[in-house]
Amino acid sequence: MKKRLLAVVLSVAMTAALLAGCGAGGGTSDGNESASAEGGVQEITWMFWDDLNATEDLISKGYADVIDRFNADYEGQYHVTAVTTNLEEYYPKLNALVASNETPDVFIVSPGPNLEVYVEPGVAAPLDEYLADGWKDSFTSDAVFSQMTYDGKIYAVPLNIAAACAFYNTEMFEAAGVKVPETWDEMLDACKKLEAAGYTPITISAGTAWCLSMVAGYLCEMEGVDLAALADGSASWEDGQLESAAAKLVELSQYFQKTAAGDTNDVATANFYNEEAAILIQGSWAIAQINGSNPDFESKCGVFQFPGVERVIAKSDSIAMSSTTKYPEACIAFMKYFTDDTAQKYTAEIGGKIPVTNVEYDASKAPAQLAYVMEVFGAANGTFGFYNESMPSTEAGAYFDDLMVSVFLGDMTPAEAAADMEDFYAGNCR
Amino acid sequence: MDKLLRNKKVITIFLMPALLLFTVVLFIPICQSVYYSFCDYKGLTAPEFIGLANYKNLLKDKSMIYALKNSLFFLIFSCVTQLILGLFLAALLTNIKKGRNLFKNIIYLPCVLSSTALGLLWMFIFSPKLGINQALEKFGIEGPLWLMDTSGFIILPMWVIAFVALWQYVGQSMMLYMAQISGISTSLYEASYIDGCNKAQSFIHITLPLIRPMVATAMSFNAIGSLKFFDLIFNMTEGGPNHRTEVLATHLYTQGFKYNKYGYASAVGVVLIILCLLVTGLINKFVKTENYEM
Repeated sequence: MKKRLLAVVLSVAMTAALLAGCGAGGGTSDGNESASAEGGVQEITWMFWDDLNATEDLISKGYADVIDRFNADYEGQYHVTAVTTNLEEYYPKLNALVASNETPDVFIVSPGPNLEVYVEPGVAAPLDEYLADGWKDSFTSDAVFSQMTYDGKIYAVPLNIAAACAFYNTEMFEAAGVKVPETWDEMLDACKKLEAAGYTPITISAGTAWCLSMVAGYLCEMEGVDLAALADGSASWEDGQLESAAAKLVELSQYFQKTAAGDTNDVATANFYNEEAAILIQGSWAIAQINGSNPDFESKCGVFQFPGVERVIAKSDSIAMSSTTKYPEACIAFMKYFTDDTAQKYTAEIGGKIPVTNVEYDASKAPAQLAYVMEVFGAANGTFGFYNESMPSTEAGAYFDDLMVSVFLGDMTPAEAAADMEDFYAGNCR
Repeated sequence: MDKLLRNKKVITIFLMPALLLFTVVLFIPICQSVYYSFCDYKGLTAPEFIGLANYKNLLKDKSMIYALKNSLFFLIFSCVTQLILGLFLAALLTNIKKGRNLFKNIIYLPCVLSSTALGLLWMFIFSPKLGINQALEKFGIEGPLWLMDTSGFIILPMWVIAFVALWQYVGQSMMLYMAQISGISTSLYEASYIDGCNKAQSFIHITLPLIRPMVATAMSFNAIGSLKFFDLIFNMTEGGPNHRTEVLATHLYTQGFKYNKYGYASAVGVVLIILCLLVTGLINKFVKTENYEM
């Protein structure tokens, strides 16, 4: 009888434990909130795409400083905790948190279609009322908000601007007798000479598809591709421009490192600052990574605009606020720390990125590469966005990225890629 | 005890934990996935019913075709190699006296280690700048791009990953076969030796027929395991270069969690479930099992 009773009691206990387990999430969350309320500290979270403790990236280290300053200045009132992950896993994890109603109070996001994903369902909050108190006037111009504005409302705040440029090893160029190329033919000639001198001319990542796609974006610009006309259907991907651009990509790819097909962005960048290749085509955010990983390389690192184009690809990091946050004041106070003079000075003087506010920084303290990037920026005849962030959806951008990798790998001819992209746009984007 | 087990209330109470777990963790999510597979569902907005559109798109999706091809390759490769190698190792180890436990543990060890850690370890070993290629370079040999080469119908990275999977999981098949072999009565072998059989003949005529039920079980495990294979691929190649090492599970992950296409990812999941059921059914049908007195 005792055994029977014990068996029944154990079964009931297991069932109860199972049910309790299913409901544990909500219980824990409530517990934390009440603890926060009792302590009087408003706890918020910030989600970011790099490990702030392990990173060598100087911009990421600057963000860690922002958190420390904020937590120290608002001790007892507000407190922010960083939720970090690596870049590749960032959006999947953010989406999982959003889907489970645990959206971080503040999160970093790329502007354009990536941000739109969170604007459309109302996950990101409009920030106009907070920007109206004079915060907006501290930015260099209203244009910095253009890729963050939907239906006239601003949904994110930019933190810095980066330009996609060609970084080069000045010593290798000198040894190979190569001058900075200004046209497409000069670029191919430079690569030929570098190769003849025993150097790997270009390091690039096709394993991280957007890196290769960034070069393809410049080549499309060179060929006159009009993304707006393609989106509204007044132009076709089969007009010949993409085919020519893709053919040029194939031509250039003979000078890539052998492992380009599988190398990740980090590996390709490391090839450059470890002096295993002469040219790296990358966003100027790489300055922080290059100088952070190999400070001695700064003096050997030159920058030139991608040859044969007049405009330059520009991109900004931006932060958005959750529309469901319980503490919007804490979030806004935290977001303002990213754009205050201390953070923006750090952005330029240490991180080597272009500030978004009118802050005056000491150019002599900034990395040498920033001055070169600013020269490129100043000489350019305007800017345009990353191709994969300028298309009607994130999926279209990813499709373009993959298509360019297919062309590079030889899985598709340039003409087939153009026809394929047109099919995709006809079916999904118009 | 018998009286107790005839009591329907008691049976219900005893079944409840497993039933609840099965319903909450498996049955309801599967039903939800089937429903979402007929929807345009991005996870952040409400699902919108679109009929068979996701399934039609599957047929046009090049990555899906790569994933299906690679999953079927894994299925065939792992069923065949694990059957042969697992059985060979089991027969070998049951016939040695010294060091049996040591070798059994060595071969089984990768099974209990984290696939994520092993995936990263093998990724470094096959990396162009580390491991094997560095060793080959010392002998003046330029090693292939183990995880990046994209030539051929089944590309080199798939063979590499299949080899790693075989190394990791062959211990599991070996243990299952060993358990079955050790259950065979020694009197059967003694009788066969008296009748003039040698060791090979007794293996073919006694061991093999008697372990058939375990072959079906082990093959089912291998088949389902290889169809839903994810961790090694994700850690060694992330489905790349350009989706060429994608399998059904990584394709599902990419579509669902990278591109937010939960409806489409659910359709991939449904295909995966159907394939698992189909393959298990086929194995159970064609690998005939009869129960013998052992």
